[in-house]
Amino acid sequence: MVNLFRSSQAGAGPIAGAQIDDTAAGRRAGPPTPQDSAPCIEVSDLLVRYGDIVAVNGVSFTVPRGEHLTLLGPSGCGKTTTLRAIAGLEPPAAGSIRIDGKLVHSKADGVDVPAEKRGISMVFQSYAVWPHMTVFENVAYGLRVRRLDPATVTEKVEWALDLVHMQGYGPRSAAKLSGGQQQRVALARAIAFSPTVVLFDEPLSNLDAKLRAEMRVELRELQQRLEITSVYVTHDQEEALAISDRVVVMNEGRIVQIGTPEEIYNRPRSRFVADFVGSANLIGGRVRADSHEPGPVEFEMAGGVLLRGYALHAPRGDETQVAVRTAYITLEAPGAPDGPNAVAGSIHRRLFHGDFIQYIVDWPAGQLVIRRPPTDVFEEGAGVVISFAPEHCILLEA
Amino acid sequence: MSMRTGSLATRFHRWWERVATVQGITSAVVLLGCGALVLYPVLFLIQESFNTGDPIVFPAEQYGLENYLDLVNELGVIRNTAAVAGLATVMAVFFGFVLAWILSRTDVPGRRLLERLMELPYYVTPLVGALAWSVLAGPKNGFLNQLWRLLGGQGDVVNVQSAYGIAWVMALFEGTVAFMMISAAMKSMDPALEESSRVLGGSKLRTMVRITLPLVTPAVLGATIFVFAEMLGSFAAALVLGIPARYYVITTAIYESTFSYPPNYAKASAMGLALFAVMFVTLSIYRRIVTRGVHTTITGKAFRPRVMVMGRWWRWMLVGVCWAYVFVAVVLPMGALLLTSFQRFATVILPESVFTLANYQTSLRMGPVRSALGNSVMLGLGVATVGVVIITVLVWIIYRSNAPGRGVIEYLVMFPQAVPRMVFGLGLLWAWLNLPVPIYGTLWLLALAYFTVLLPLGVRTLGGVVLQIDRSLEECARMCGASWLHQLRTVTVPLLRPGIVATWLLFFMASVRELGASIFLMGPHSKVIAPSIVSSWMTSGTELTAAMAIIQSATVLVALLILVRSVRGISGESPW
Repeated sequence: MVNLFRSSQAGAGPIAGAQIDDTAAGRRAGPPTPQDSAPCIEVSDLLVRYGDIVAVNGVSFTVPRGEHLTLLGPSGCGKTTTLRAIAGLEPPAAGSIRIDGKLVHSKADGVDVPAEKRGISMVFQSYAVWPHMTVFENVAYGLRVRRLDPATVTEKVEWALDLVHMQGYGPRSAAKLSGGQQQRVALARAIAFSPTVVLFDEPLSNLDAKLRAEMRVELRELQQRLEITSVYVTHDQEEALAISDRVVVMNEGRIVQIGTPEEIYNRPRSRFVADFVGSANLIGGRVRADSHEPGPVEFEMAGGVLLRGYALHAPRGDETQVAVRTAYITLEAPGAPDGPNAVAGSIHRRLFHGDFIQYIVDWPAGQLVIRRPPTDVFEEGAGVVISFAPEHCILLEA
Repeated sequence: MSMRTGSLATRFHRWWERVATVQGITSAVVLLGCGALVLYPVLFLIQESFNTGDPIVFPAEQYGLENYLDLVNELGVIRNTAAVAGLATVMAVFFGFVLAWILSRTDVPGRRLLERLMELPYYVTPLVGALAWSVLAGPKNGFLNQLWRLLGGQGDVVNVQSAYGIAWVMALFEGTVAFMMISAAMKSMDPALEESSRVLGGSKLRTMVRITLPLVTPAVLGATIFVFAEMLGSFAAALVLGIPARYYVITTAIYESTFSYPPNYAKASAMGLALFAVMFVTLSIYRRIVTRGVHTTITGKAFRPRVMVMGRWWRWMLVGVCWAYVFVAVVLPMGALLLTSFQRFATVILPESVFTLANYQTSLRMGPVRSALGNSVMLGLGVATVGVVIITVLVWIIYRSNAPGRGVIEYLVMFPQAVPRMVFGLGLLWAWLNLPVPIYGTLWLLALAYFTVLLPLGVRTLGGVVLQIDRSLEECARMCGASWLHQLRTVTVPLLRPGIVATWLLFFMASVRELGASIFLMGPHSKVIAPSIVSSWMTSGTELTAAMAIIQSATVLVALLILVRSVRGISGESPW
């Protein structure tokens, strides 16, 4: 992975492209470059109601060909409903959906292509592997519906089972597979008939942690190898960051931020995103808005200390919070040369997590949560100097 | 908006394209068809109940409330109905409570087998149960009275042709639901609540009186009200046992006014709707109790109900109570019926008995009886087969699709459940009699009627199974490109198979034993078995009737055995 943390390159300068570009970031080296990628899925002003409850409230986004887009949000934020509306399983109240340039849903135009005619595929949260069929019959289903000849069906099923490392499982009864195996069969079934678009509805949420991590890598590889366009739904922020080209963060039926995983992590625009994706300290205070342009700002935190931070939006002057990722704060023994935003504090608690140590540090504005590699050891009660780069101290929209 | 969307014609065209699919058309036909089947007779019944002119003229020439006001003159019938239903409810709830407590909370041997056997009286049916108890305890020639006189007694020791007898038979053969409801509540009770009482020093008796009883009170109260509503609409026992003694309850009074000459359909309709109204209110009270009552005992956690360890003597006494119930509700009556069916003259004094196969020969040879048997089996096969196909589609549309109006139809098809079967039968009679389609008096009408009254049973049984199937199994088929019919055929129906088999068998059994609707709709050329048994009972001998009842029961029994074998493992198949 290239350029994972732009800020690690040097000093305060590098947040040049502070505005968030909504097209696919150039992280992928694969063929579909942003230029030739006409949108493959286009969702505009989608509105879905359940009775009086508005589940999806005016959601719009596009997915370029070959992109892996993730809808991320807490449960009940409308992400699954959005996905099901694209699939044709949930009737929207308003808005339109285009797939491959073809209008598949528009209430205003009276167009509603049924799910089976949208030419897309889907992997379900419950796997939905049919227990009354064998593995082969499961995977062959979409091929047989398309009336392919038996030889082609066999060939394609073998190919798909091969891709998910399930070769030889064909004759087995699908009811007797483990969770991980069912997941693979569901995946093989979804890709066997070579769809251009595959939708994923929290496909990994029922697997245990270890298997989930393994499947993430496999899904990512498969997706890039087959060059399918995919929309993926998850409530697991780690998963979303790890496997997506772009992430759409949703809350209460609306989109709150769209961006590459790095953008979402490094530059959360709102308290919700800072809080929901990754772990962050929210520091209260008030902004000193000298300029009304995006860029460096000064922030006076509770306790009177002045912090140097960064605004992604034009500051209005009434912002009251900055967010600093727990991983972006360094701790040093007193007396070390001062970095930017260096503040004295003391270790309150040390919690050893294995992969990292979590410190609760007392500082003038209360307490900070800081994650350091397990090699950075400070005793409880010890005095420390806390510091973080201004571009990691993000002014949140009021 | 319409500027963008083109002319009205284009919009209509697009709408039509969307709606005129196989699924759309099927949904419309099935929903409207089933809805109409239920609604049509009910509307006729309501219309007729306000007819104050000539009661057999349609449409009515005069409307008014007289039919309802005339109910005041039937005070005797109303009193009888309340007495019989009340007595039967008390007995049924008492039996149900004692048996449920023994079988779910104590360690008596053979609990599981006994629990299954408790369902048997329901399958015996109130009609056969009433006949059997008539043979056992009828005045003069009842077996028990024969024995009494043999032992030197005078007159009759028991008479089942009385209010007590009717209530007794109703409690035994229609009160099974009380046992089911109370035992469900007892099983879902946290055993820790009882154990804490024991730990704190309470005796078994004290624990039962102070802890168990108060905790199951809401369930018992619910069961009482539910059973009372059922008993109000009960028909068969009152028909077989009450009419010879000229003891009328509301259902038999409805029957009388329909079959007296000239028939008074208007009066019968008013009585039927009044009965329905009372039952409806009672069931609403029941629903209120159930929805707010039992929260402390039923927590949704799965308990393995722990049972009380009984002393040796207690244990045998309690298990004796259970077997005594099985004996009185199944073995004794069916034994008496079986014995009678092989005798020339019904008698329990075996040395005097003359055994013969003539009753069975007559049953199977005599034209009307044979055709009635044949018709019933044919109707059972036909209604079950066609019905199951329609119910499968209907249930899928109700619980899985987003077809408009499916919620209304769901309520509508459950409606026959709330109406006493024979009141619904009366509605069907009046409705189809006045329809210019010549199916009155044919088996087609009976088939339609059976399907209509069995709709709630089918929708409930199969609906429960549909709801257990993960929706995404079906959605996945659509995402793979399957059409609606293809998805039904390859995914839904195979997954539903056990439920479909269960529904088929329930429909078959229910059709073969159907009485309430059949008795109104059967014509001279479309006889079916249950009403034929009743008329044989009224006109011919006990012995022949017994043989017919045994044949009917055997048919149901065979279906029941297949049912038990085939649905082992599926839950929610129980027929109430």
